[in-house]
Amino acid sequence: MIRAVDGHSDGSGAAAVGTSAKATPESLRVRVLRQDSPGRESYWECHVIPYEPNMNVISILQKIAARSTTEDGRKVAPVAWDCNCLEEVCGSCTMLVNGRTRMACTALVDRLVEEQPEEIVLEPMSKFPVVRDLMVDRRRVFHSLGRVKAWVPIDGSYDQGPGPRISPEEQEDAYPLSTCISCGCCMEACPQFTKVEVQRMEGESVEAFEARRTAAFDKNFLGAHAISQAMLFNSHPTGKMIADERLEALTDRGGIQMCGNAQNCVAVCPKSIPLTRSIARAGRAATLWAIRRFFDR
Amino acid sequence: MSASSQSANADQPSFLERNQFLIYRLFSLAGLVPVGAFLVVHLLTNASVLGGPEVFQSRVDMIHSLGPLLPVVEWAFIFLPMIFHAAVGMAIIAGGLPNVGSYPYSGNIRYTLQRVTGMIAFAFILWHIWQLHAMGKPLGGGAFDPHHAASTASAALRPMAVAVLYAIGVLSAVYHLSNGLWSLGVTWGIWTSPAAMRRASWLSVAVGVALGAAGLGGLAGMRMVDVDEARAVEGRMAEARELLEGKVAPQAADASGVSDPAH
Repeated sequence: MIRAVDGHSDGSGAAAVGTSAKATPESLRVRVLRQDSPGRESYWECHVIPYEPNMNVISILQKIAARSTTEDGRKVAPVAWDCNCLEEVCGSCTMLVNGRTRMACTALVDRLVEEQPEEIVLEPMSKFPVVRDLMVDRRRVFHSLGRVKAWVPIDGSYDQGPGPRISPEEQEDAYPLSTCISCGCCMEACPQFTKVEVQRMEGESVEAFEARRTAAFDKNFLGAHAISQAMLFNSHPTGKMIADERLEALTDRGGIQMCGNAQNCVAVCPKSIPLTRSIARAGRAATLWAIRRFFDR
Repeated sequence: MSASSQSANADQPSFLERNQFLIYRLFSLAGLVPVGAFLVVHLLTNASVLGGPEVFQSRVDMIHSLGPLLPVVEWAFIFLPMIFHAAVGMAIIAGGLPNVGSYPYSGNIRYTLQRVTGMIAFAFILWHIWQLHAMGKPLGGGAFDPHHAASTASAALRPMAVAVLYAIGVLSAVYHLSNGLWSLGVTWGIWTSPAAMRRASWLSVAVGVALGAAGLGGLAGMRMVDVDEARAVEGRMAEARELLEGKVAPQAADASGVSDPAH
């Protein structure tokens, strides 16, 4: 069904939709929490856009950008957001949709309207510094992966040959963990994970600022995804060669001990990764590692 | 330049930061042993009053038979671990950002309740120690007399408002321990799979229900004690104890022994 919508003649085109379900709205009211640049005050802005079947939050944002006009007819700069793959694989379009963290690409408007017909509320993630509007700086997600060395170390000056075989059972255990898309939902929903926003000071060099930011990241909570990735690579036959280094990182400041077992991470994970199983396994590994380190040194 | 030297200083982790993992694990352990274990003993001892003032008095006598060692045991195994657990717990609460409003999942509700009950239990325990423990005497409290255990406890718990606050305090402590037991199992990696965590949550419910029943039973039992009758029982038991300990002169003991059949 194609409707010519020029954005200003809302009601006229909507009548053509009459054949679909009677609950179908003619237009959608979208409330967006905007912020012009890092460190600035945020503000709410309402947009009304024509409804179409099978929309997702990304297509809403595309329509908002195309119109760039608020509910009260003011011309504004387009709302900025991040997205890439549009199939819940890249992890870049995470935002708060109706107050809850999720991927905008798989937030289907028809479902959202069923839950909350009045309006759709879009906010940037609250645990990451806002770059602009719905775009946030998620570098801490990747910094955490670096802290726990979430990789298999195979770099060297010669060919090390093929790695050991992995049994199908081990593969089945590890595969779900490998589907992590670093979207940051687990961190956003975690009551133990708090925002770290470091502002560049007057006259501070870029290097000094980045060092300060890294230090701030390093002493705060890793997040569920990094703990899970550490367990993924500690179960890998080649990855486990640096298992102790990962456990060292997991038991360092801001490590596994910060987990409060609220288990929101596993509830919001768009890939249904058994994050709490990874956390408990990491807890067990950390327990044994700490005992080993205490008595063996 | 000045900014970079400042940040270098800020990078130095403090003692608490360097030993964060160890401190949090000791915090978790302290909640179970000795603090949690003490709560179990304490509530079961109190519930023994349901067997009558003499049963409760004999349990209290057993504890107080430690004599001058009792304060040492109290401080080493109850007060200091509890202060440590409470101090770290408050730091943890201060660092968290509860969000049950946005994410009303059962795990999240239990997480939030764990913090709420921890704070209630802490405030309650301070008041409880002031009200009944001998340390509260200089401050106008300390109403519990170990030689008249049931009667003094009963009198202190008689006002309805006190009983209600005790019920809230005891149930908070019981929730905090039983949910904490589940959480501890995840933290230490005792139960790791979702299925094992579900089974463990039944264990935690069972512990909570049993302890809650013991706690409320003890509270109700204390309030049902007939104070005058209990005083008489406790008086006789104190005499017998003094006799056993040889604090009373043999003649006096004989005299009381003679007069006993007349009762």
